[in-house]
Amino acid sequence: MGTRLTGRSITLILATTAVLCSGVAASAASQRTEKHFAVNGRPVVVIQNVADGRIEVKSSKNPEVILVTNQNSNKINFDMEQVGDRIDVTASVLDASAQPQELDTSLQLTVPEETELQLKTENGMIYVEQVRGDMTLESVAGDIHLKDVSGYIIVKTTGSSLVCTQCAGKLEFNSVGGSAQILQPALTNVNLRTTTGNILFDGDFIRTGLYSMRSGKGVVEVRFSGNDSFDLKAQTATGTVDNQAAAFLKPDSHSVRRFASKFTKGFIGTFGAGLAKVELSTFSGTIRILKRD
Amino acid sequence: MQCKDVEVVLEQEGLAPLPEAARDHVAGCSHCQGLVADLETIISLSVELPAEVEPPARVWVSLRNQLEQEGIIKQPVAVSADERSPGWRSFGNLFRSRAFATAAVGAFLAIAAILQVRGPQEPLASPPSRPNPFGQTAEVLNEQEIDLQNMHLSSTSPVDAALQQNLKQVNEFIADCERHLKAEPQDVLAREYLSDAYQQKAELLSAMMDRGRSVN
Repeated sequence: MGTRLTGRSITLILATTAVLCSGVAASAASQRTEKHFAVNGRPVVVIQNVADGRIEVKSSKNPEVILVTNQNSNKINFDMEQVGDRIDVTASVLDASAQPQELDTSLQLTVPEETELQLKTENGMIYVEQVRGDMTLESVAGDIHLKDVSGYIIVKTTGSSLVCTQCAGKLEFNSVGGSAQILQPALTNVNLRTTTGNILFDGDFIRTGLYSMRSGKGVVEVRFSGNDSFDLKAQTATGTVDNQAAAFLKPDSHSVRRFASKFTKGFIGTFGAGLAKVELSTFSGTIRILKRD
Repeated sequence: MQCKDVEVVLEQEGLAPLPEAARDHVAGCSHCQGLVADLETIISLSVELPAEVEPPARVWVSLRNQLEQEGIIKQPVAVSADERSPGWRSFGNLFRSRAFATAAVGAFLAIAAILQVRGPQEPLASPPSRPNPFGQTAEVLNEQEIDLQNMHLSSTSPVDAALQQNLKQVNEFIADCERHLKAEPQDVLAREYLSDAYQQKAELLSAMMDRGRSVN
């Protein structure tokens, strides 16, 4: 009996030791680096991230760019270079046989409020908050979240989606399978294109703004408010137009717009004075038009 | 006075001077204003046309003989001017003026041109052998896709899986568009979508090949 207990205890101790050791090894492998780059004017930050992981960008009042990397292994190398106000960060895989979890690296970037960004990643999420400046964001499989950003925003994804909350300026979105949600925008120029994803635009149309939203197979949904003023053209080749705001839309008062061809079906109308221009289109999906309460 | 009455007046008496009733109607009718404006333009332009060359007398003789032989015209019966109806006379007078005759022909051409411009944007029938504008693009991309398959990319990373999945989606969408365009070759919207889809396919293949090269 005593021998059995002793054996069990030894087993437990060994197991606990093994667990603890593995934890120590893991924490030893996790590396954190922090770099500071002093800048004068509006910096341009270029990040090319081949690793899997999140890129997070936030702003501060300080005239510097801070880059924090957290990586699970030493199989990723970051080349960082500063030339004037341009900061380039490029990740490269040192070991092609590395496992996906070994390539998991997150980047935290703190930039001045007015900064231009060029971020490219493959599988991690991109999150940008409170940055003013032109930005180009590309991702294959990682979603992109923008909050309270402004400038000329270009987003290009393969299969991942965009959520843009309180964005201002101009927005271009191009994706194969990704969806786009534009919430509470103050955008004057919007061009959203996806092949199979969905599009949701929930917000105001700025007067004289131009809004074009196209989805090959998905749903294009627009929710406008009673204060808006826009001309609307919704057209589809083989899909449907679900106009739940027909009672609020007048026939087009400007009479210059027509459908792409006689095979196209859809709706042309005006809300208010028709100051903004809204074009919705789908090949075989659904266009839904709603008025918010 | 109605629009058709104005047209009768224009036909019988020409443009100027229009009777007061016709002038009153034209003043309040955009359709008739357009008609009068078009006629005025045609007449003013016709003045600038070069003078016709009088054909030789033998041409008229030959033409007359031909028409008589075919029974299209007979020997003219002398009809006094008084026996003609007033309407016909005025119509004849109208065309006696070379300028107006030219203008009338011009008017027909102008109307035809206007109808051509205002008519449907697409041709009524598709050309029988319209070449596929995307044919070459499709061929090149399909070759690239085969090359890509021959690279034997065995990676199972989420990124490669996503790219494969999206390529499949684009191919399906291209097939949808092509199927639709086979039935409705003039559908401009479908063409735009097909064009975009080919562009996306090209970008996808390029990205996949880049990844393949960097991995291999």
